[in-house]
Amino acid sequence: MATAQSSAAHTVERGVQPLRAGQGTEFLWRKLHSLLGIIPIGAFLLEHILSNFEALKGPAAYGAQVKFLNGLPLVRVLEWTFIFLPILYHGVYGVYIWLRGKSNLVYYPWSGNWMYTAQRYTGLVAILYIGQHVIRQRFMGVQLPEHPMAAFAKVQQELANPWMLAVYIVAMIAICWHFSYGIWLFAAKWGLTPGVTARKRLGYACTVFGIILAVMGLASIWAFVGPRYPNTPENLPVSYLAAPANPGGISI
Amino acid sequence: MATKTVRFEIKRQANPDAPAVWENFELEWRPGMNVISAMMEIAANPVTADGRETTPITYDSNCLEEICGSCAMRINGKARMACSSLVDNLEQPIRVEPLSKFPLVRDLQVDRHVLFENLMAVKAWVPVDGTYDLGSGPRVFPQQQEANYPLSNCISCTCCMEVCPQFNEGTGFVGAATIAQVKLFNNHPTGKVFKEDRLRALAGDGGIQECGFAQNCVEACPKQIPLTNAISDVSRDVIIQKAKDFLRG
Repeated sequence: MATAQSSAAHTVERGVQPLRAGQGTEFLWRKLHSLLGIIPIGAFLLEHILSNFEALKGPAAYGAQVKFLNGLPLVRVLEWTFIFLPILYHGVYGVYIWLRGKSNLVYYPWSGNWMYTAQRYTGLVAILYIGQHVIRQRFMGVQLPEHPMAAFAKVQQELANPWMLAVYIVAMIAICWHFSYGIWLFAAKWGLTPGVTARKRLGYACTVFGIILAVMGLASIWAFVGPRYPNTPENLPVSYLAAPANPGGISI
Repeated sequence: MATKTVRFEIKRQANPDAPAVWENFELEWRPGMNVISAMMEIAANPVTADGRETTPITYDSNCLEEICGSCAMRINGKARMACSSLVDNLEQPIRVEPLSKFPLVRDLQVDRHVLFENLMAVKAWVPVDGTYDLGSGPRVFPQQQEANYPLSNCISCTCCMEVCPQFNEGTGFVGAATIAQVKLFNNHPTGKVFKEDRLRALAGDGGIQECGFAQNCVEACPKQIPLTNAISDVSRDVIIQKAKDFLRG
């Protein structure tokens, strides 16, 4: 048994490899992931939450907002370039980042380490939620680009299922958390907040910002499930049949 | 006669391929006792708590006053210096294990060579070697000295790397210590001649981008080095360097 020899050889091979100075492309891909999280994904999240907030004004206002967004020039190009593809990349690369990290929260239960872990779990919730949300709300059922005024009814029907409502509430909180901590992380990792005090101040600001976003998002969900606009009439049969002849939809 | 004792559980491993076993030891308590003095005592008299003779434990240590960085180990699960770990402040039995992220040599001794490889990869030195007298170096103002002094306190103990969730075989992350040294030597009026080289080195695979900002490094650092500040500052410098390189073609 040449254990001494083989172990000596192993000692050199084992363990974490040294820095590959100046080699490889990980830097670019990682920074792209980081940047996309703020622009355009974060910017789109803001837009989405603001647009959803129109639902509090009722089905007509919400429909008008959907119509406006779908009327933007080159909207399908904008949608793929600034929403779908960046989110897909951010999500897939984010999972790759997670898989390469080795959580040690059990031994080091410090606040930064908690946030590091939370950023991974909220990201996973976000990507799973967004996947089903885009498939069911954008590509399945009544086509909102052609029938924007059916938007309120479509979302309302989705949220009528209490399980789906729970999914939306959890995802809303997780995504707002992920984005607000993401801003903080971006500032720290791009060298915008190199001081402890600066990071602390931005931490408070991001907390407030995240809470405002989440409350706005949850308020919009409430607009669909609350007692104010029950059983919105612009349901599937009406929009399917009447929308081509009546593109304006409702005007109650 | 009720002498006060201290109980230890030490993870033993005869060689990198041998199975790990735990052994219990019980020592007489002495005032001001620290973990490294207990390790010395156990190595000098390797008898387990149940009276069985065993092999002397192996560990790294040198200065015994948190200056050399040798005696980093996991004590009650956390990476720290055995010399500055006072027994009276620890829950018993005190569990002592080797650092987990570095190749094991024997018992509590690990091979931390990767840190030195990393320091070499970023040229963490001031280039003053030559065949003739270069004369006195440029003046460093006291304000600059004060800013650099905390960074110069690094003892290469690798605690920051051990506690980092990103420092592992998957990422090959360089770790906080090396990044802080890049900041130190880039701040130095002579050392900064390598500034661009160091920043480009840190943009390589396993470089500064792998940091997940869990901030465990700064919590664990026995010398209170502002590691997260250094990572933030150097990150910005690396990004700017890469942008410049891109635009200059």
